[in-house]
Amino acid sequence: MDARLRRVNKEIADCKNDKTSNISLELIDNSPFHLKGSFPGPEDTPYQGGRFEVDIIIPDSYPFQPVKMKFITKVYHPNVSSASGAICLDILKDAWSPVLTLKSTLISLQSLLCSPEPNDPQDAEVAKHYTTSKGSFDETARYWTQIYAGGPGKKEAKGLRGVKDEVAIAGLEKAHVDQFEGLGFPRNKVIDVLRRLNYRGANVAQISEDRIVEELLKS
Amino acid sequence: MSSDYEFSDNEGEYYDSDEMMDDYQNDDDEEMETYEYNNNNNTNDNDYDYTNDDDFRIPTKSKSKSYQVEYTSLTQSLVEKAMKEEVDHVSGIFGVEPSTATLLLRHSGWNKERLIDKYMENPTQVLVESGCQVPEPIPSSSSSHSVDDKSGSGSRRATRSSSKLSLLSSSITSSNRSSSHKKISSTSDSSTTFTCPICYDDSPSLTALSLTCAHSACSGCWNAYAISKIRDEGEHCIRCMTEGCAIVAPDEFIHSVLRDDGKDLIRFQELVVRGFVASNPKLKFCPYPGCTNTVSCPSAAGKSVLSTLVPIVSCGARGITSSASNQNQNPSSFSTSSALSTTTTTTTSLHNKEHIFCFGCPIESDHRPVICAVARLWMKKCEDDSETANWIKSNTKECSQCQSTIEKNGGCNHMTCKKCRYEFCWVCMGPWSEHGTAWYSCNRYDEKGGVEARDAQSRSRASLERYLHYYNRWANHEQSTKLSLDLYAKTEKKMSDMQITSSLTWIEVQFMKKAVEALEKCRETLKWTYAMGYYLGRGNEKELFEDNQRDLERAVEDLAELLEGGGVEMEKEKENVGGLRQRITDKTVYVQKRNEIMLEDTAIGFQDGRWKWNVGVDGFEEPIEDFGGVV
Repeated sequence: MDARLRRVNKEIADCKNDKTSNISLELIDNSPFHLKGSFPGPEDTPYQGGRFEVDIIIPDSYPFQPVKMKFITKVYHPNVSSASGAICLDILKDAWSPVLTLKSTLISLQSLLCSPEPNDPQDAEVAKHYTTSKGSFDETARYWTQIYAGGPGKKEAKGLRGVKDEVAIAGLEKAHVDQFEGLGFPRNKVIDVLRRLNYRGANVAQISEDRIVEELLKS
Repeated sequence: MSSDYEFSDNEGEYYDSDEMMDDYQNDDDEEMETYEYNNNNNTNDNDYDYTNDDDFRIPTKSKSKSYQVEYTSLTQSLVEKAMKEEVDHVSGIFGVEPSTATLLLRHSGWNKERLIDKYMENPTQVLVESGCQVPEPIPSSSSSHSVDDKSGSGSRRATRSSSKLSLLSSSITSSNRSSSHKKISSTSDSSTTFTCPICYDDSPSLTALSLTCAHSACSGCWNAYAISKIRDEGEHCIRCMTEGCAIVAPDEFIHSVLRDDGKDLIRFQELVVRGFVASNPKLKFCPYPGCTNTVSCPSAAGKSVLSTLVPIVSCGARGITSSASNQNQNPSSFSTSSALSTTTTTTTSLHNKEHIFCFGCPIESDHRPVICAVARLWMKKCEDDSETANWIKSNTKECSQCQSTIEKNGGCNHMTCKKCRYEFCWVCMGPWSEHGTAWYSCNRYDEKGGVEARDAQSRSRASLERYLHYYNRWANHEQSTKLSLDLYAKTEKKMSDMQITSSLTWIEVQFMKKAVEALEKCRETLKWTYAMGYYLGRGNEKELFEDNQRDLERAVEDLAELLEGGGVEMEKEKENVGGLRQRITDKTVYVQKRNEIMLEDTAIGFQDGRWKWNVGVDGFEEPIEDFGGVV
């Protein structure tokens, strides 16, 4: 049997047998080389209570070359692209070792959620948010967990099913958005500009309203 | 073995051979001189061939001309030899095995002095950092540590006497050996079943291999791992597969793991050599695909010298080799294949191109006479879209209120900006309101706002024209150089025709090929003189430069016309092939002389610091003038 297939089968079986880690692996299509992994959000983080799904592609040269992983579930995290789910983690690149397994890699992703590395960001805007106003970041990350990863506070979300709060997704204050929307700019444009300028927390005092209006006119 | 390669090399030899010169000498005396000049470099080659055996492909060029640099071409096996010398030296000093010394040197970037210093200070640390030894986790080993340290510091004091050194280091060796000796511990498991942690195979026939760190994996996985590292990552520093383990596999281990997989082994060896070459500023790997030669050019090793010379070198090989397997060829195989050389005339010149490149910058062609920094500036300028911006600037104007770009495509001069509805006069750029009712005739040329806008516009227009002047000529020569491929083919046909129609022999019709080659070379030079001319600051020096340039240009065009048009004439002059031959040969010599003068003069200019630029160039004074020429 092909060594790669044998190894992947064993890894999937191991994962099934291991009940303690609460990590699951399942096939996406019929190929054992395209999988979907999922793990619970770590406790005491904004991701707590959510379940995060990861798209896993096993390359031909596995395990000698790293697996390709990206988040299916949208995650608000400095090292994860908020748009594509791409992950910035050393073991998925040059620090990969053939003894690492799918399970151990997923556990590493889980711990990446615990300890973001904003100095080596995948998503610069999110990283800026994280470094300038941690409190506001946590809130946004929690909100994302709630609406995308099925985190706690579901009731509220259910009531507004389909009407996701764009302002909260962007990690902004409703009052701020309303203020500029009141000037006659379209709401989505306001959200876009404020997010780009990182108009959050202590940063609000740093950015003049003129600057925002200027940006709004430009875009 | 690629026969292509052999052909080309052979062909080179063929042309270089003295035989040809002799032929000309017999023919008539006038031509003897000209070809002697022509064969100047080649004669060197031949001299060399007689005196040396297989080591060098190209001789150390005696620095006869100021536009040439001295360099040596090394084959891969020669570089390997040099590497081995370094390794043996270090291995002798430290008293470690050559494989360990190799890893130590590689880790330190082949900087022997620094490695020796560091090793004398703390051998254990260096060994651990280089991945030769497992960091010792047990505190009980501290005793051996202190022994190492002592001997280390002791030997540092005694660096002068190497004999003492090796004595002292033998104590280190003994302590190292215990850990580093059994590098390849292959255990065919028979009693306890071994399961490979990588592929989870547990069949009893499995061979477990491990490095000093004792992290085992089956031989199949090691093989796949090494191949993946070598092929996918181009990496020759192959670490243990275990996460966080920094032990590096020594070469012998990789060799044994790759088994008889020839291709990967060759690639691995090449990567090792490349690593060595890359860490030595005096060496550069030939950038041509498939070529594994290295050029050593100590005179161009520093950045600072690049402002006074253009280190154009050649690795000596020709053509594009399809496989790397011919690197082990030795001259004996060349000579055996010389019988095939008659067919080589049909190979196109591209496949036969000599591997000429610049030692100082990544440009893979002969960019003489211009120095690297200026050549780079020019290339960047040509690649940049800055000229698009220039076009926009000269063909459009900006609305003086909202800065929108406007191209006037008809209508009157009373412009109304589509965006901001500002009304202005296209001629003077001033507001239309100042014009009153003077439609179509702008009589307020000197009106305030208009002047500034116009000035900026004309400056940018002049700059564009200047650039295009140089660029067109540069591009023209590049194009012509490319077309010379066709010319080659045509010439070859003519040459064979001539052999049939006239009484000339094969060797006698070679003057056509010589002419085409000279033409191509001179066009290359001319091309780059335009890059140089663009950046040269105005003055007498530049005028002299441009005079030389003009002379060369004229000579090149004359020869080109003779060659291209020669076919028609030849029909007429069937009786008079000898005359044509004479004329082409004369022109060829003249062109080469002009080229020589051009290169020589610029090279001396660089050495004397005669050239001044109109832009800032590293290693030169500030630009002498800024006439708004360069954007």
